[in-house]
Amino acid sequence: MAPNSIFESFLVSQGYALFESLGHGEFLAVGDCPSWCRDILDLTSPTGKPIALAAKSPFLENFLVDADDFWNSKTEGAANSGNWAERDKNGREVPLEAFALSLDNKKILILQNLSAHFAEQQQWFQTARDSLLAHEQLLSEIQKKEILLHCIVHDLSQPLTAITGCFNLLRLEKVPPVVEKYVEAGLRESQRQESMIRGILSAFSGDLMAQQASGHSGGAVPDLSVCARQAVEEFSSAFKDKDVRLRFAPPPHDSADWRIAGDAPRLDRIFGNLLENTLRYSLPKSTVTIGLEDQGGYILAFVDDEGPGLPKDLPTNQLFALFSKGKSHSGKAGLGLYFCKITVERWGGTIGAETRAQGGSRFWFRLPRANAKLRDSEPAHASAEKRSVPSQPSASTSGPPPQVSRIGRALKHLRVLVTEDTEINRELIGELLTKRGHSVSAVSDGLEALAAFEREPFDVILMDQEMPNMNGLDATRAIRKLETSTGRHVRIIGLTGNATSEDERRCLNAGMDAFLSKPVRMEKLYEAVESKLQTSSEFDHSQPAPVPLDPATTKEAVAEDESVVAHLHRATGGNQKLQRTLVKSFLQDAPKTLSLIRRAIAKKNAQKLASAAHALKGSISIFGAAKAVAIARELEAMGRSGHLFDAGPQFRALESEFQRIKPELQAISSVSSGNPKPKRKTKPKSRRAR
Amino acid sequence: MLQKKICMLGSFSVGKTSLVRRFVESIFSEAYQTSIGVKVDKKVVRVNDEDVALVLWDIHGEDVYQKIRMSYLRGMSGYLLVIDGTRRQTLDDALALNERVIQEAGKVPAILVFNKSDLVDKWEIDSTRESELIAAGWNIVRTSAKTGDSVEDVFSKLAAAMLI
Repeated sequence: MAPNSIFESFLVSQGYALFESLGHGEFLAVGDCPSWCRDILDLTSPTGKPIALAAKSPFLENFLVDADDFWNSKTEGAANSGNWAERDKNGREVPLEAFALSLDNKKILILQNLSAHFAEQQQWFQTARDSLLAHEQLLSEIQKKEILLHCIVHDLSQPLTAITGCFNLLRLEKVPPVVEKYVEAGLRESQRQESMIRGILSAFSGDLMAQQASGHSGGAVPDLSVCARQAVEEFSSAFKDKDVRLRFAPPPHDSADWRIAGDAPRLDRIFGNLLENTLRYSLPKSTVTIGLEDQGGYILAFVDDEGPGLPKDLPTNQLFALFSKGKSHSGKAGLGLYFCKITVERWGGTIGAETRAQGGSRFWFRLPRANAKLRDSEPAHASAEKRSVPSQPSASTSGPPPQVSRIGRALKHLRVLVTEDTEINRELIGELLTKRGHSVSAVSDGLEALAAFEREPFDVILMDQEMPNMNGLDATRAIRKLETSTGRHVRIIGLTGNATSEDERRCLNAGMDAFLSKPVRMEKLYEAVESKLQTSSEFDHSQPAPVPLDPATTKEAVAEDESVVAHLHRATGGNQKLQRTLVKSFLQDAPKTLSLIRRAIAKKNAQKLASAAHALKGSISIFGAAKAVAIARELEAMGRSGHLFDAGPQFRALESEFQRIKPELQAISSVSSGNPKPKRKTKPKSRRAR
Repeated sequence: MLQKKICMLGSFSVGKTSLVRRFVESIFSEAYQTSIGVKVDKKVVRVNDEDVALVLWDIHGEDVYQKIRMSYLRGMSGYLLVIDGTRRQTLDDALALNERVIQEAGKVPAILVFNKSDLVDKWEIDSTRESELIAAGWNIVRTSAKTGDSVEDVFSKLAAAMLI
């Protein structure tokens, strides 16, 4: 069939294959069918004979349904098939694209051979996708490192509890004035160390979790209306690029006071994160509106869009969870909305999202108004430093050591259960409470705590968060459940080295009455245990500001090459009996824990790996063994992040490290006279007040 | 001979093309070459003493650059939803894609393929997540296009499910 128009002639001359539909799935080639087309579609019949194209290619068969729809719709333009590939006679893949269009009332199908430009297109996609893969890999590594760092910070807090406890105990003894001076210096330095750890935690958390340092550390009391307008101004060009209109809807009473209890830089970031999120899901030619509502003591700010709304199967609280990402993720780490949540909640507000009745979604947050006192006393240029003056003397202060009073006996004798997986911390906290006049029982995990609680009454339970077998949160929940039948309420105080507001919230949500961050200070410990009325968080928001690391201090602290014997001697103050007990207990438990780790890795059970590695890390750290601790920490971080690659080699390194220190430990253990009594695991040791 | 259309679905770089090449041609290439568009292959398998021609639609991986046309799913008898076990995100993306597929094509036999089982040391999906998916009704098969592990098996299982 010869071309009937200049356009058809032009296309044929340019190497396109043209077919006219005759109906019923049959086509006639228009002009000379190019050889590549005859080859691919195996067209052996002479030109002019109808061809059943659908039978030649499953892809074409599928597209011809769309083509028919298009031809029957009588619409302008063309329908295209998208790229596909067919093999030629030699088995080479030929990239193709098909178009359906109407020309002079004829139904025309055009096949285009894309070979000429396909390599270039392929290269473009290849580069883009390789970059996406590299980016995914990078994000994954960053998340893994963040979790690792959190574990490190947690570990740094653990021994500090012991150090502070030792100094506190020494302060209760009658010591010569010169020794007292050393003790005070030691205590002061341990407080410095604590400040540094908080500094690391703060830096690690960055803007995410640094809120614990102060309620709102920014300068002026910010005006929500001003911040919202600024956000619109700042983001309008980005929205314009996506053909989305961004507007600020002035509230009905614009003369109202829109100042809130917060700080402007973080408020800007909240608006920024919400707008970035909205922009990702907004459709071209839609409008995004920022607005405010006066709600009495609170102000509501919202960002409304006209996009697809929230995913139906995604709970709202998951939107704001750490590392949560939308389904059509755009490569972000899933931290933006989490930042918004913890910041708003820290300022006493709430945050949420919903699908709007008229379509689209609304992200909103509600913040308390700045109170009158704050508004009047805070000029716009008030500095952050003014508001974050530490209540404790700064560690870098060169004056005399902090004055501490000797602790007398408690007014009332209490029965206290200490639940803590690190033996030395358990011993020291117990000793401090015993000296104060309380009866102390000690157990090493949540299951044992639960058993002890069922066996005997306690006035107070100190509950570590992270423990093997059953963690402190689960144990607290179980105790609270048991209490529903008795109507009793034992005071439970959480202990944790992860001193973030998120940890505090978790403790309180589990049913704890209060929260003490490690390292535990003697005064805080007594205050928490003996304060019957106090039901709010003990979380200390007024820590001294971090100070630069003192090389002279760290030189001694980082004794990586120290032998197990030397470390243990130092940690136990030369108490050989205690050393033997610790070593025997460790040698009994460590192989079992290693076995748990091995099984968890083999079964890809990330949760069990984290739990077992955490347990081993805690027990092995008593003996120094810096390398083994570091490996166990890595394994714990892998478990927490769910990234178990490299877990196998790390485990082998851990086993080898255990074998390396084992002879030293066995030597300590063998010094024992006689056979040791088996260690009691479930029944708590009770020490009555002296 | 009975013909059945199978679609290979999933994110980019999860190994859909490699699985098809391993199944149809018994070859594997280490180099990642991204797919653009669709390739259609055929392979005859024997299911319950009957020859069945499987028409395999290897559809490009979905990402920000290329979206899958739902018209490609027309006439599909079953599909393999492929994920890369070393990239957790590919599972989330696959499950989201699955919802669209069900909306478009209705419920047809499907298998969730955890590919790259040869790299199991680097997997980001733990057994707990896998158990949750099985409990949710997913038929999961771990495969390796590289070693050929369970590749024949996964296509046979799907073919058998399509013939029920």
